[in-house]
Amino acid sequence: MRLIAVLDALEALRAALWPRAFRRFTGAVFLLPAVALVFILVAGLAWMGDASLRLLDTETFEVSEAYTLANYGQIAGQATYWIVLGRSVVGATIVTAVALMLAFPYAYVMVRTRSAWTRKLLLVSLFLPFFIGQVVRAYGWLIVLGREGLLNTFFGTFGIGPFRMIYNYPSVLFGLVQYLLPFAVLLIAPAITAIDEEVELASESLGAHWLRTFRHVTLPLAKPGLVAAGLVVFTLALTDYAMPVILGGGTNDFIANAVYDAFFRISDSGLGSAVAIVLVLIATLLAGIILTVLGAGTLGFSEDRR
Amino acid sequence: MTGVRGKQAVLWTIVIVNLVALAAPTLVILGASFTTGNIITFPPEGFSLRWYGKVFGSVALRDAFLRSLWVSLVCTLIAVPAGTLAALALARYRIRFANALQLYLLLPFTVPLIGAGMGMLMLFGEMGILGSLWPVGLACCVINLPFMIWAVLASVNALDADLENAAANCGAPPLHAFCTVTLPAVAPGIITGALLMFVLAFNEFLVSLLLTDANTVTLPVSIYNSIRNIITPDLAAVSVVYILVATTVIWLLDHFVGLETFLKSK
Repeated sequence: MRLIAVLDALEALRAALWPRAFRRFTGAVFLLPAVALVFILVAGLAWMGDASLRLLDTETFEVSEAYTLANYGQIAGQATYWIVLGRSVVGATIVTAVALMLAFPYAYVMVRTRSAWTRKLLLVSLFLPFFIGQVVRAYGWLIVLGREGLLNTFFGTFGIGPFRMIYNYPSVLFGLVQYLLPFAVLLIAPAITAIDEEVELASESLGAHWLRTFRHVTLPLAKPGLVAAGLVVFTLALTDYAMPVILGGGTNDFIANAVYDAFFRISDSGLGSAVAIVLVLIATLLAGIILTVLGAGTLGFSEDRR
Repeated sequence: MTGVRGKQAVLWTIVIVNLVALAAPTLVILGASFTTGNIITFPPEGFSLRWYGKVFGSVALRDAFLRSLWVSLVCTLIAVPAGTLAALALARYRIRFANALQLYLLLPFTVPLIGAGMGMLMLFGEMGILGSLWPVGLACCVINLPFMIWAVLASVNALDADLENAAANCGAPPLHAFCTVTLPAVAPGIITGALLMFVLAFNEFLVSLLLTDANTVTLPVSIYNSIRNIITPDLAAVSVVYILVATTVIWLLDHFVGLETFLKSK
């Protein structure tokens, strides 16, 4: 009863502040805080875009008043940036392929298993690393793969090694796959749930081998999940900072590391901004193309996401 | 036969590869944190809580931990109302330019973190608010906001709009209907979103690295700085804090919402 009284009071307050006539604006008002929050990001990007068009005078450390494309010219003319870009794109492609191949069966088993216990185990195994964060996980891999690490000690007992398993390209890719697996599984799983199991059973009862069923029934129907997972994994891998710096040890920089170095090592905010803007454009363009061609998949906010 | 056995064998082989890769760092860190030695060796030398003692005695680490908690709290407190209202608006109200708005609200997902982080660093620097902790929480909220909207939307979409209409038909004014019908039904989504926002902010590394200085380092940054120097077992003991926080959040999620909701198609 007291709740009702409180609600009545609040209702009166609402009626005074927000009369019926305003009601058609309610939706817009509800959206305002979220729109404002994302605007912080947009404003930051705009600021960076502006900085990218100004040249830093290396003698006075002042930025130019006039706009120029010199920073972008410098990026295009430097082989290092092309190498870093190529390494990031190739790396992200490999990581996406491997992560999807590993994640799909995991999501499939997790959704289809009859045992609630198995499902819980698979879910917890997925959420635990997801919630532990990149730095701690990378640190764990350093202990496993390092020169004096778990694997090299193990190989040592057989008199082989030590092998160099960190500070190289494969270790970065490996770390990225492990970091992104939970994202991939969690985006694929809802798409598999949406597939009626009887469709698969129908295919198998008509004599199709399970691999054929998988290829011609399950995979095509799970496309929304695969698209969303592929997009998220690819962009996150392409733009990652932590894995290349911790597991690559500076030997295998990705674009994000180049941005960081331009800002904090070379201290050239114009150049750093330009590299960052290029990365933002590449990622946004890719996401835009994939989203328009293939739809938002399980990533979208709206209900008609298939 | 269509090879059911073969199917199970192949699927489970891949699942086990996944499980090993997912669990290895966590298990290794747990093991290493209990060593008695000064360096991490295999098998670990003896069993002791020595490094835990050292970690708990370290003022710098304790401060970094508290700062991370504060950042996560700020992030969650901003995200919960903003994300919930946005989700309700997207699901329940006619919005002009709804499609464009959805794409706009997905921007934090499509803009690379280094771009978002550096942009906010320059913006916050210009505004003169760098050096405080709350902008770090705000930044974490911005970059993860779609998770919050998403979590709440899943609950709103699951709620039959006719229930709200029924309440209105029976004479409940809007706020009554909202508090007694909509809010309880959406609560699981809000809890899920809040927990996600909290734990993601607690883990956030890159944006923290960019927006903090020597006086405001958060726990992930402080761990990262130590990794670059030497790898000692005290780091493993600190990392166990993360394993504990993650375990707690998973338990809460499972208890209040059920982990299985993440498998549902929305």
